[in-house]
Amino acid sequence: MRALLALLVLLLLPVAGAHAQGDPPGVKGLFLLTDYPSQTVRAGEVTTIRVKVNNAGLVPQPLALALNGVPAGWKMDLLGGGRPVGSVMVGVNQEVIVQLRVEVPKDAPPSPHNVVLTARGPLGQQASLPLTLTVGTEAPARLSLKSRLPSLRGTPRSAFEYTLTVGNDSGKDLTVALAAQGPANFQSTFTEGFGSSEISSIPVEAGQTKDIKLKVTPPRDVRAGDYPVLVKVAAEGATAELRVTLQVSGQGRLALSTRDGRLSGEAEIGKASAYTLVLTNDGTAPVEEVELSGTVPANWKIEFDPKSIASIAPNDKKEVQVLVTPADKAVAGDYMASFRAVARGEQASADFRIAVTTSTLWGVVGIGIIAVALLVLLGAVVRFGRR
Amino acid sequence: MPPSAARRQGSPFTGIGPVFMKELADHLSSVRMLVLALFVIAFGAFPVASSLQTLRTVVDPNSFLFLRIFTLEPEQVGISFVAALNFIIPLMAIGLGFDSVNGEFNRRTLSRVLSQPIYRDALLLGKFLAGVATFAVVLVALWLIVLGVGLLLLGVPPRGVEVARGVGFLVVAVAYGGVWLAISMLFSVLFRSTATSALCALGLWLFFFLLWPQLASAIVSGVAPGEIRSVEDYAALQDLAMGLMRLSPGTLFSEAVLGLLSPETRTLGPMLPAQMRGAVMGAPLPFGQSLLLIWPQITGLIAGMIVIFAAAYVVFQREEVRA
Repeated sequence: MRALLALLVLLLLPVAGAHAQGDPPGVKGLFLLTDYPSQTVRAGEVTTIRVKVNNAGLVPQPLALALNGVPAGWKMDLLGGGRPVGSVMVGVNQEVIVQLRVEVPKDAPPSPHNVVLTARGPLGQQASLPLTLTVGTEAPARLSLKSRLPSLRGTPRSAFEYTLTVGNDSGKDLTVALAAQGPANFQSTFTEGFGSSEISSIPVEAGQTKDIKLKVTPPRDVRAGDYPVLVKVAAEGATAELRVTLQVSGQGRLALSTRDGRLSGEAEIGKASAYTLVLTNDGTAPVEEVELSGTVPANWKIEFDPKSIASIAPNDKKEVQVLVTPADKAVAGDYMASFRAVARGEQASADFRIAVTTSTLWGVVGIGIIAVALLVLLGAVVRFGRR
Repeated sequence: MPPSAARRQGSPFTGIGPVFMKELADHLSSVRMLVLALFVIAFGAFPVASSLQTLRTVVDPNSFLFLRIFTLEPEQVGISFVAALNFIIPLMAIGLGFDSVNGEFNRRTLSRVLSQPIYRDALLLGKFLAGVATFAVVLVALWLIVLGVGLLLLGVPPRGVEVARGVGFLVVAVAYGGVWLAISMLFSVLFRSTATSALCALGLWLFFFLLWPQLASAIVSGVAPGEIRSVEDYAALQDLAMGLMRLSPGTLFSEAVLGLLSPETRTLGPMLPAQMRGAVMGAPLPFGQSLLLIWPQITGLIAGMIVIFAAAYVVFQREEVRA
């Protein structure tokens, strides 16, 4: 019976190969499959081999799994779903994955070993999988680190993004720790390829490369100059280094305020009121050609003295007088005006609340009218009084 | 008559004190005064109670909560406290003044008073000042009652600026009452019959309240050009209409009260769109600016009161008082 089945398997195998896609209806039998039946394991390490148990057209039965030829001192386990298993049960035309965990002792001699995995059912169905495991020497971990654009240029406000390629030149998967060393107060973060989450380490499969992104943010007040950042990657004793450079060019930054920071003032109707604006450059490069302008309610007049400033050095202040004249027909109350300073590539603005007051002249006139009325009364008293 | 011959010695206002005190005592103890005070309280209590109820239940975003007691128009009543006062103050003033001179004449006490060392100047001014003082007493009492009830029911104390605006409102109200007191005294000097003077004063009051708004708008529509071409035309018409309306003391009072008790009032006339641009709406004016805004109204009330009193004075001085 068993020989018959094996024969059947042998006969049917080429047919199965010919119909690689899907389960050909004619093929029946039980198969044990793995991608690499002959592979290298390392002494002192654990290797996991994936084995597929395939049932083509047979009645599902529990299949006992057995290992033959396990070398002395080796520890081999069959795992299914994370737990040790002794048998599998596969549905018709389905497959179950079993993991063969191989623990090789440290002092295993470098030689090939043959291990046979068999699956056997109660009705005599059987399949076997011979595996050849060769104990190989351990290749040391090796990493490489490259950057296509190792030097970037920008302003203190731009983010410097370097695309780095981490290569794992060793024979096993490595988790690579990432580190960047820059000048004080430089912020550096790593992100994966196009991802957005920050990472501190990244797994790289053996022989593969991965692209990571290094983003360096210089402090806002950094002076112009070249700043190196040393990128280090490390995994299991292997390291690689790369030096990238930030070329920071200075940038001016305008701020518009008043001397005491108060952004409100009073103005009388029809009269010019002067406010002192303070233009500050808290950037790292001079701000050139600063033009001042303002928006005021309709029919108001606004004048700046001076109208433009040629240049403001970094950390320097310039004072500007602004004369605001409310319209003659303005009514009392609060109004919003805004002042703007525009330089090359830079601008600042400030909203200013102006409380418009009316002249007290009419108040005096009113008192005068009352006084005139009193004079009329007094005149009447003088003329007709004391009767 | 030659002035030097008619002149007598001493100040024309000798004896003003006794006249003032006697008149004040008469006013405050008279049944007429009691009736008038009850009248005012009845008219004022309803709007105040309703607006307090509204203020207690509805969250008012206005920061001048106390002033809202005066200006709020409750839904149930449809008239605010100040609007009620605008209507009722003239009635009270007329009630106090319509028989001040001709009543004495008819009771034949005028010549008896004037035979004392009291000049006519002192008599008239004393009567007028006593009327104004009575008025002020009633209004201050009313104002304090409203403030106290507001304090009790709202549970927040008024701010200093609210009190200042309230005091300004009191002054305006007293001046408004003074105008009507002077008018009623003028009629009491002009006519010998108390009924005639009362009728004339009440007639003028009704004229200003009922007829004058219609008449003013009729005049404006008569003056108005066939079509209004620009905003300026419209504003000019509005100015004319408001100018006519301001001949009525009631309009002056309500505008002055609006400026005082609604601090966000920026202007009493029409506001052009160009003037609105950039304005922060709803921002209250400082007290001084509000006062400046309504200063013409206050001036008009006070000066009008003085001028009408002067007219009454002139008529009284020329009158024959012996009967």
